[in-house]
Amino acid sequence: MNAVTLDQLQEYLPFLIPIILVEMALMITALVHVLRHKNYRFGNRILWVVLVVCLQIVGPIVYFTIGRGEE
Amino acid sequence: MRAFFVFTKKELVEQLRTYKSLILLSVFFLFGMMSPLLAKLLPEILSGMELQGMKIEIPEPTVLDAYGQFFKNLTQMGLLATLLVFGGILSNEMSKGTLINILAKGLPRYTVLLSKFTAAVLLWSASYGLAAGVNYGYTEYLFENTAVHNLGFSLFCLWLFGCFIIAVILLSSTILSGNFGGLILSAGAIVVMLILNIFPGLEKYNPITLASKNVALLLGTATSADLTWNVVITCLLTLGSLLLSAILFHRKRI
Repeated sequence: MNAVTLDQLQEYLPFLIPIILVEMALMITALVHVLRHKNYRFGNRILWVVLVVCLQIVGPIVYFTIGRGEE
Repeated sequence: MRAFFVFTKKELVEQLRTYKSLILLSVFFLFGMMSPLLAKLLPEILSGMELQGMKIEIPEPTVLDAYGQFFKNLTQMGLLATLLVFGGILSNEMSKGTLINILAKGLPRYTVLLSKFTAAVLLWSASYGLAAGVNYGYTEYLFENTAVHNLGFSLFCLWLFGCFIIAVILLSSTILSGNFGGLILSAGAIVVMLILNIFPGLEKYNPITLASKNVALLLGTATSADLTWNVVITCLLTLGSLLLSAILFHRKRI
């Protein structure tokens, strides 16, 4: 079923690692921000934690652009 | 002039503190990296799927597929991210009232606009440059024959279009009040340009052609001479939007 073998995975590792690193960095900064602030423009803490953790890339971006509340 | 530098610096600091730089840089970095990778891997991903015995044959991916992915990503998701990130640069400050103090102290209003434009263009250029650089590097690494036509000009076109969009955002934010006014009006402007692009006669002058002809430029089916009018008109429209927004902003009650 799966045509991507372990060899191929290894071949593309130099690409996958930076991508995963950036995704994790975004997720962690967003998660820290969600947990340290109480006010959101809408939604609550649980919603944002789920969104930020489960939706890679899109979740943190949506949080920082439209979900983040005022200081 | 000093006020301009100080306010631009404030804008850049704000971009950092509101995570705007982080978002835009990381999103564009990912686009730059994923595009060649996805183009290279697509045949393998598809051959791994069995669609009820149907076999999908895809020719060996070329460097054009990589750039095709790159421009598709940047013109769709990239512009969306740009719109979302820069959509509130003016409207937010107006609705929060943080501009009142400094304007009352004598900062000219056009300086505010010009600083915001400069700071946004700086961030856009940095992110776009990062994406283009990473994409170029990985395409060179992954593909063998990487010769394409007009690469520099094609990249420049999309960059110019991004600058134009930022000017449009500033103009729309001065026309409409409210938090999302600027965002909605600029999105509307893009939709109008997309619709206008259906008419073949207008394609020559429509700024959006700068963001739709990129791959044709690489293929060589379009030349830089074809897009000269688009470039000139987009430059003029960018300056015009800035001027008009300065005039409107001057009259606006804050």
